[in-house]
Amino acid sequence: MDLFRKYLGAQQGDQLPSGAETVERLCERVRTSTLLDDRRDAVRALKSLSKKFQLEVGTIAMDVLITVLENDRTDTEILGYVLETLCNTMCNEPLDEEDDNTTHNHLPENMGTQFTEMFIKNPDNVREIIRNDGLLLLLHLTRNSTNIQKIVAFENAFEGLLNIINEEGTSDGGIVVEDCLHLMLNLLKNNSSNQNFFKEGSYIQRLTPFFDLQSTPSEGWSAQKVTNIQLMLLLLRSLVSPGNPQQQTTDCQKVMYRCGLLEKLCHILMASGVPADVLTESINTVSEVIRGCSTNQEYFASVMAPSNPPRPELVVLLLSMVNDVVVVGLLLVVLLLSMVNDVVVVGCAGCTAAVNGRLLVVLLLSMVNDVVVVGCCWLYCCCQWPALVVLLLSMVNEKQPFMLRCAVLYLNTISAGQLLCGGLFSVDPLSTWFAAVALLHAVNGNTAQKEQLLRVQLATSLGNPPVSLLQQCANILAQGPRVLTRVGLLMLLCHWLADCPIAVTHFLHNSANVPFVSASEGDELELVVQALCAFLLGLCVLFNDDQVENCQSGESLYCPLTYFWRELSAVSLFTVLSVLLERTVSDKLSQVAKHENYNNAAKKPQVDFPESAEVVFDHQFTRLFKKLESDVQKVCCVCDFQKSEVDEQKKQAVIEQHDSIVSQYKELIREQDAQLNTVRAELSDMKGKYSNTDKTIEELTQQIQQLKDQNALLKAHRG
Amino acid sequence: MSYAYLFKYIIIGDTGVGKSCLLLQFTDKRFQPVHDLTIGVEFGARMITIDGKQIKLQIWDTAGQESFRSITRSYYRGAAGALLVYDITRRDTFNHLTSWLEDARQHASSNMAIMLIGNKSDLEARRDVKREEGEAFAREHGLIFMETSAKTASNVEEAFINTAKEIYQKIQDGVFDINNEANGIKIGPQHSPTSGLPASSPGGNQGGGCC
Repeated sequence: MDLFRKYLGAQQGDQLPSGAETVERLCERVRTSTLLDDRRDAVRALKSLSKKFQLEVGTIAMDVLITVLENDRTDTEILGYVLETLCNTMCNEPLDEEDDNTTHNHLPENMGTQFTEMFIKNPDNVREIIRNDGLLLLLHLTRNSTNIQKIVAFENAFEGLLNIINEEGTSDGGIVVEDCLHLMLNLLKNNSSNQNFFKEGSYIQRLTPFFDLQSTPSEGWSAQKVTNIQLMLLLLRSLVSPGNPQQQTTDCQKVMYRCGLLEKLCHILMASGVPADVLTESINTVSEVIRGCSTNQEYFASVMAPSNPPRPELVVLLLSMVNDVVVVGLLLVVLLLSMVNDVVVVGCAGCTAAVNGRLLVVLLLSMVNDVVVVGCCWLYCCCQWPALVVLLLSMVNEKQPFMLRCAVLYLNTISAGQLLCGGLFSVDPLSTWFAAVALLHAVNGNTAQKEQLLRVQLATSLGNPPVSLLQQCANILAQGPRVLTRVGLLMLLCHWLADCPIAVTHFLHNSANVPFVSASEGDELELVVQALCAFLLGLCVLFNDDQVENCQSGESLYCPLTYFWRELSAVSLFTVLSVLLERTVSDKLSQVAKHENYNNAAKKPQVDFPESAEVVFDHQFTRLFKKLESDVQKVCCVCDFQKSEVDEQKKQAVIEQHDSIVSQYKELIREQDAQLNTVRAELSDMKGKYSNTDKTIEELTQQIQQLKDQNALLKAHRG
Repeated sequence: MSYAYLFKYIIIGDTGVGKSCLLLQFTDKRFQPVHDLTIGVEFGARMITIDGKQIKLQIWDTAGQESFRSITRSYYRGAAGALLVYDITRRDTFNHLTSWLEDARQHASSNMAIMLIGNKSDLEARRDVKREEGEAFAREHGLIFMETSAKTASNVEEAFINTAKEIYQKIQDGVFDINNEANGIKIGPQHSPTSGLPASSPGGNQGGGCC
């Protein structure tokens, strides 16, 4: 006020100009001044007049002030004056200044309100400009501060933002909708308090209509619409991200199912004309909405695609992979993986599917309509997780256990069986690797399946006897193919033989299987192969139940092992292996980390595609190795080896002792047998002699009797 | 969930008096003896019934530490009810009530219902503030008073519900302008008496219909 008086005092002199004149003059100055300083001074003066001459400033200066708001928005000082001036003109409160002038007492009470309405109804869109600038300001403020995010949420931001989005036509809206969505993302991302508030405020339900995409224009989607929908999907994902507290995610998932959001999302998956980017994000979203939530998973499994005949959506999605196999295929893996409760696997499967895309194409093209085979394709694709395959097969109403089906495939359906074997024994090392890993997962920890797989026989060329699958693997190894092939097969064999003595027996049965180890010097991977061989042999020792005596397990196994330990220093080999495995594991972990932070990097793909050169170890194998490494080391380390050798010799000695005892007894029995025979012969001889003698005696007795009779007769005759 | 009214609460008071524990007991019905220091504010919600009407409580549990005061003050305005908590075993927390109350009066709407809570009533042996003192303070400043125990859950429900009853009564008496959401009160989607709320009607109906 002092300033104002000074200003006016300098200007007016004796004739006091009316308030209106002063205001007009100041407005003129604001309008015409080219220097910002001058404009600023004028607006400051207007500000100080605005309380006393509310009516004049309100009626005369409004346009000028609005122009300043638009043109000088970079200068905060002048903006501040403008806003304060506007504030004063729109204020209804009576002046409390001591110099309250009686001339203004006749003014209507609600003058401030009237000015407010005039301002709001101003067609110049100024209000929208302020609103949009406000949005941008909030966007910046909420970017990194959890506390500001919460305050903004507390101030009903969600309500306001949803209203703006609806007013602007939701996904058909422009950049403002995009800003609103970005702001909402800022508020929700990694902020569980706000997420809880969002859920409790029933705002999730209000997102459902956003995904009504029936009215898709025939000319396709605008870039803005694609962005908007993607952000909307990201919004959903921020609520059900695996990184959130479990309970929070579960609650949100349930709400999304109940309010029909999941249904809408499933429709997007099947809708026509949806751009690939949106489809990608939709699949990601669906996968996170159903992850770990059985109700939602069941719902998803039951969704039928609008095809003829109706098929489960999942199957249709699988078939659609033919079109865009790498991208969609990869995402389907993510989707499927979300149906098992294991976040860690996601990273692993990503690389598997990406590198193996072309294999999938070949497979799918060759047998559309054969759902069983679709399952088999998934064996390649999702080989990180056999449960998926089981799941998939169960979805096409095939209830048999997975391995059984595989065996059936091997034995009966030649074409399908060839698929898997074709993969396993392909010349392409990558295919072999994947097929081997697939089987590895199928047999992992399941002895029954291991034994069943032992019975699988492969038909070879005509005229030759069939070869067992196990033997075929060993044969290929013996041929010394590419490193990746050997790594794959060795990993498979390790899993197969671990905890399965029968398989070990089968493996050792062919003595040619053992010395396949190549001793060639090579790069790091070659060392890995050797370490794997050592590991495999160690497993043979560990799980051998000594049933294969005739192939002299002792010698044949221990020789190469000794070779390993003495010549190649297997300890260092194991170290190499350990280091590599560590690296693989940490790689996987970092991938998952990337995955979890996905929401932070909104536009990055969910999983990175590693180079095929990075494919070396399977995650499951690293676990097996970690589990059994120390045992194998124990069995294999040199002292233990010597001890077992001594044991073996002792055992051998005992066996020899036994043999000699037996032969002694045999000798004895033989002797006794001979004696018995002699005695028997003597007996019959004696018997014969006896009866002869008996006869002779009888004859003689008779003779004597006759002679006696004759003698008595003669005696009587004589006298 | 459909509701007739939605009330926003804040919980204020010195650090360590058991504000977060009171909220946890009220929303989750459990007690956590060791609780992390609240950073800024944390949100919790629960549905209650008053007079046969469903009332949704949205509760912001604030950090008691002085360093967060500037943040927590942002929540006073816009809350319909406040739970002002002290610890009956620590007199200093009782002595600070005046400054908390000043803060609340300065930043909050004048109609805000304030419930004074003496927490940790299970620790009778270590009591440092008499029940009568709390009652006297409440009477003097026009607050409702209660002693609670977040550990045994004693009076916890009552504390939140009685505050809601007070707000509900104020609504019935026409003290609150229920159409102004800045007061921390919102009318449920389908209970909206004024049709002239284009802002909340479309989505609001959706929300009501879905759950």
